[in-house]
Amino acid sequence: MKNPDTGSLQAALSERGVSRRDFLKFCAIMAGTLALPATFTPKIARALEAAKRPAVVWLEFQDCAGCTESLLRANRPTVAEIVLDTLSLNYHETIMAPSGKRAEKSLADTVAEGGYLTIVEGSIPTADDGIYCCIGGRTALDILKEVAAHTAAIITVGACAFYGGWPATTPNPTGAKGVKDVVSGIPILNLPGCPFNVDNLTATVVHYLTFGGLPEMDDLGRPLFAYGRRIHDNCERRGHFDAGEFVQAWGDEGHRKGWCLYKMGCKGPVAFHNCPTLRWNEGTSWPVGAGHGCIACAAPNFWESPAYEPVPIHQLTPPSTYPEAEAAAAGLSPTAAGLIGAAAGLAVGAAGAVAAQRLGKEDKEEK
Amino acid sequence: MAERIAIDPVTRIEGHLRLEAKVENGRVTEAWASSTMFRGLEIIMKGRDPREAWLMAQRI
Repeated sequence: MKNPDTGSLQAALSERGVSRRDFLKFCAIMAGTLALPATFTPKIARALEAAKRPAVVWLEFQDCAGCTESLLRANRPTVAEIVLDTLSLNYHETIMAPSGKRAEKSLADTVAEGGYLTIVEGSIPTADDGIYCCIGGRTALDILKEVAAHTAAIITVGACAFYGGWPATTPNPTGAKGVKDVVSGIPILNLPGCPFNVDNLTATVVHYLTFGGLPEMDDLGRPLFAYGRRIHDNCERRGHFDAGEFVQAWGDEGHRKGWCLYKMGCKGPVAFHNCPTLRWNEGTSWPVGAGHGCIACAAPNFWESPAYEPVPIHQLTPPSTYPEAEAAAAGLSPTAAGLIGAAAGLAVGAAGAVAAQRLGKEDKEEK
Repeated sequence: MAERIAIDPVTRIEGHLRLEAKVENGRVTEAWASSTMFRGLEIIMKGRDPREAWLMAQRI
């Protein structure tokens, strides 16, 4: 939380005793996460060495601080922690030292300088003139509009800042909205998820420092490197889906054996996120790995979808084929999932066909 | 001479908090705390599948 306006990342790394080898290894991992060829590793390294750490303000509105928890748990690889730590994080309510007027001064000073990165966590209430979230006597709406007017770009973290999240769930008592619905004319990148995965923020920051801009996004503003692939196609339980081996009840034999959670309401077949490959808690596990279905937390309006009802699948895609990235924007709609398959011109693979038959068969047996 | 001071935001906590205190001759005589953010989970949860209650409640 010091305010290092000068000095490069390279200097900060050597201060902390990070070896050249570890640094290059980190750059290679970042190239991989960003879906860039390994030949980009030296370019990333050069850019990071020279990069002046950008000023960052982190705004919290209608949030649970879960995404902040995710940020604070950045620990893989070690250098990632340092990259995030050495950003000039000028304002972050949960972790900053000053309170009250002094805290607000940190924000005002950064805004006056301009050109900073803004990270937003939590939704913005718009009902009743925005009174449902006030900081320092000002509404979230007011603060966001002022901060947005002088920022270089906005990165939203979590489902709430993306589309409104659970505060926006029917009947949305506070008129909660996402950043893209209240701010326009500024580049916005969304890292949805409940919470978001901090490794995707690290990769986005590395991209920003290396290429001077935000990575390629889908039409919902989600970076393709993180939200371009279907969970179902990278799931470690996919083999059980294809073989027709499904958990039928919590704690049954299939559940104990790690079978497919589709029938327990898993939204993996219509969800797009890199959870299965990136994972959580130092890469040890993720929700489906831990035995609960995916709730599609990176999709817009996912809370409106019953968590424990199976999602209809209209078209099964062979595991070797990935959908068009643009189609990821379609979110939770089963029709869209079907269209993705159709648009890709897929014939249902043999394994998929077997699964389809078994799904139908076992559904009948259940009744 | 009574003076009223306000600390808003209170940082290093989860959530949004405002503290106000009335100070007379160097002593706090009255104090108020207000939570300055509301989302309405109690309203949202009404009528939903009870199996989903924990999914939402853990995200308060």
